[in-house]
Amino acid sequence: MTENFEELIEDSVLLQCQVNGWPREAEITPSTSLLDWLRDDLHLTGTHMGCMTGHCGACTVMIDGRVAKSCITLAATVQRRQITTIEGLRGPDGGLSPVQQAFWDAAGFQCAYCAPGMLLTATELLKQNPDPTEQEIRRALAGNLCRCTGYQSIVRAVREAARLLRENSAK
Amino acid sequence: MSESGGNDAAYVGRPVRVLQGDAFVAGHAKYTSDFQFQGQLHAHLVRSPHAAARIKRVDVSGALKVAGVVMAMEGKEAAEHLDPVPHYIDPAVFGGKSVPIRCLAIDHVWCYGQPVAVVVAEDKRTARYAASKVLVEYEPILAVLDAEAALEPGAPVVVPGWGDNSIMALPFANGDAEAAFKRAHRVVGTTIRIHRFSTQPIETRVYNAVWEEETEGITFYGTSQNPHPLRYVLSRALRMPENRIRIVAPAVGGAFGMKMHGHPEEALVCLLARRTRRPVKWVEDREECLLIGAREQLHRVELALSKEGDILGLRDRAIANTGAPSACPGWGMAFLTGLTMPGPYRVQDLDVTMNIVATNKPSWNASRGYGKEATALALELAIDNAAREMGLDPIEMRIRNFVPKEAFPYPSPTGLVYDSGDYAGCVRRSLEALGYEVWKRERDSGRKEGRYLGIGLAYELTPEGGAIPGTMVAGFDSSTVRVSPDGSVLLLTGVTTPGTGNPTGMAQIVADELGVPIEAIRIVQGDTTTCPYGFGNYSGRSTIVGGGAAAMAAREVRAKIATLAAALLGVPAESIRIERGVIRTSATSDKTLSIAEVAYAAYTRAYDVGLSITPPLEATCTFRPGLIRHTPDEKGRINPYPSYSNAAYATVCEVDIETGQVRLLKFAVAHDCGKVINPLLVEGQACGAISFGVGGILHEEIRFDSRGKQLTQSFVDYVMPRALDMPGVAVVHHDSPNPVTYMGLKGAGEAGVGGSAAAVVNAVNDALAPLGVSIYELPLTAPRVWAAIEAARRRQAPPARREQAA
Repeated sequence: MTENFEELIEDSVLLQCQVNGWPREAEITPSTSLLDWLRDDLHLTGTHMGCMTGHCGACTVMIDGRVAKSCITLAATVQRRQITTIEGLRGPDGGLSPVQQAFWDAAGFQCAYCAPGMLLTATELLKQNPDPTEQEIRRALAGNLCRCTGYQSIVRAVREAARLLRENSAK
Repeated sequence: MSESGGNDAAYVGRPVRVLQGDAFVAGHAKYTSDFQFQGQLHAHLVRSPHAAARIKRVDVSGALKVAGVVMAMEGKEAAEHLDPVPHYIDPAVFGGKSVPIRCLAIDHVWCYGQPVAVVVAEDKRTARYAASKVLVEYEPILAVLDAEAALEPGAPVVVPGWGDNSIMALPFANGDAEAAFKRAHRVVGTTIRIHRFSTQPIETRVYNAVWEEETEGITFYGTSQNPHPLRYVLSRALRMPENRIRIVAPAVGGAFGMKMHGHPEEALVCLLARRTRRPVKWVEDREECLLIGAREQLHRVELALSKEGDILGLRDRAIANTGAPSACPGWGMAFLTGLTMPGPYRVQDLDVTMNIVATNKPSWNASRGYGKEATALALELAIDNAAREMGLDPIEMRIRNFVPKEAFPYPSPTGLVYDSGDYAGCVRRSLEALGYEVWKRERDSGRKEGRYLGIGLAYELTPEGGAIPGTMVAGFDSSTVRVSPDGSVLLLTGVTTPGTGNPTGMAQIVADELGVPIEAIRIVQGDTTTCPYGFGNYSGRSTIVGGGAAAMAAREVRAKIATLAAALLGVPAESIRIERGVIRTSATSDKTLSIAEVAYAAYTRAYDVGLSITPPLEATCTFRPGLIRHTPDEKGRINPYPSYSNAAYATVCEVDIETGQVRLLKFAVAHDCGKVINPLLVEGQACGAISFGVGGILHEEIRFDSRGKQLTQSFVDYVMPRALDMPGVAVVHHDSPNPVTYMGLKGAGEAGVGGSAAAVVNAVNDALAPLGVSIYELPLTAPRVWAAIEAARRRQAPPARREQAA
């Protein structure tokens, strides 16, 4: 006989939102983090767990176009919102986005565990500021830890991405 | 050695972008925690809240009553099914004290966080919850946390049954240090305290053991740097033959030594999978990851100096606080610290002892630098201090004492043989890249305006590619090159990647040696069933040995292709040229073949043209670099390293003397990693190591309360550098090729933590020199720097004012 049954019970909630452009509906427990829901239930494993305290940024996603740490976001709070994960970054043609392309070309990653955060943060930054200075890039990335690169190649990749995006918009 | 030398079409030497990088930027790379299997169970560990205690009773029945719990186990039950975990490097190999390591504590805990029990449940939340229902009755006993205190007579003994806490005290002595100190013009002593800090990859450790009912075997998916040696360790602990265990190390999210094995959770999840006959997964949380320590050492360095600043003798009484015993290879870092003395300097009269001490802090594991960072910190801080005391220029003092570039191969006083280098050249080029003269003027004029700028230089000699006799730290490795009937190329290798880019480097080598486009190559690493036997990733070895072996295998396969192509074309084999997948002959006109045509023939025409070769189109080779010597010399010394990478680190900082905050304005490194395969990847390694050094010396510290409870439990407390904290780094390649490795490689992955950290300390002390402040107790956090400035101010303030202030 289970003695602690009551302690384990949580009422479930109905979550409806969009993930990478697709409508999603799920019964979840209120304590489920957005990170766990994306990874465990939707199998979108491109979003990573690094600290569960919101410090490392490996779990970064976009909520309505703004970056957020999915490990400290309860899934139940994203009702009717649009979620974008790293898997949703590709362009409409299925090709890599200019930011992704620049990160690959300029080696803006090594182990790439932090890549979801770096790519989404860079994407957000370049939407707001198409030609950021090095200091602006570093400030924008300050919520994301990378342990491999020392940030030098990431900063270079963001600059390269800015150049690609400006070229594309000039076309 | 390479046929591709001087070839414009060569991949080697170029900034080729990362192979298969689209998976990484699109979120499709699969890390261990991304694997989820049918019937997946989750494990959660119960850990000791005490640094030292007797375990009176463990009761897991409360956990077993929670709905969804499948199994719960404490130490005694686990020991019925599991033997001790074999040591990666057994201290007994070096004549030290050794103790069997159990996955779960039995009767006694010797550090905070030691695993005591484990709970397995249908989901991770239930496992965590149920773990809180395990009752453990402890009787806390006195813990010892400080290494010096642990050596005092009558100190609490960490390991029951040991007479004292010294694991071993190793001498590294040569020449006549006593005489050198007698004839010295001056002796300068420096006491350096290196704190406990850690590597903290963003991906924590994850293990997922799958019980294979069909073969009664286990497939272990894990964050492992060394799958083959881990298979041996698991087979011993689990009492299973190695041929029933398969280790798969998928994409790894950074390792830096922390994912070398010996961790209790590895064998434990396998046992749980075998007992439940279901897949069992364990994901380390950050709090657990922060338990793994490293680097904490105390050095009392004395330099015997001539009037001109020649180092005549070196004495160091070093003590390493390696925490509680473990099967991981962490403690060996302290051995390397001693062995690497006196770094790049030519002093031969040496009297160094390294006392490796057990305490009730959690255990160490290997950390990038593997003790060589501590050598650099101790030496480089001591030299700056000596130069300051003597009124000499610290840069000139270094150049004066370096092993000169004509002296290689150079026998070090501890028995190592340095392969090659140009240390003075690296210093010169690092200062050029820094803009030394400009910064010197800026510093001097700043001082008049109340700005505290400082310039720091430090050198690091980083032996790479190590091989320790009698352990699974081996010097050689193997690679297989396989060309399939369609002409595509598979490279399988025993070295693994923690995400450094070594697969790209090795693919560049194979593409050149084989004569194929790099896009035709795919690499498989980290699978004990498909890859040739190898030792994985450590000691900056991957491209040296994995790449060397791949080059040899590619050459063998190329010879087969050339022979077969010659037979197909009816021309002499010597006339065959293979470039970017196209086979030409200089003998007959313009007839060409593709690799695919030759490959198909190799598999389908074994009894006509194929008789000229031994099918299939495949070769496995082993590369075993020279210079390593395991037969002791007349003084009983060995040389475990084939390769001696080295670099000069230079930095400029500004100290805010009101807050103690240090800001780096510029960083430069001139390094010698031998031949550069891919400048993009090498620069990435150098910059990454520098951010380890900068963060480690300015912010990162693992702290404990007086009873041994760890206070550092998350990234709130463990502060690693962010993009804004890092200055731009100018990277200069100043290479001298290693004569005993493929293409002169020296290794580029490990070096830089100690050299960059020491450069920062020297810069801070230079900045604070006008205040009479120099700090050798690390890290240089703002409060510590501020306190040192305040103490100096109080010392210098007139006595009357001091009384007033009181």
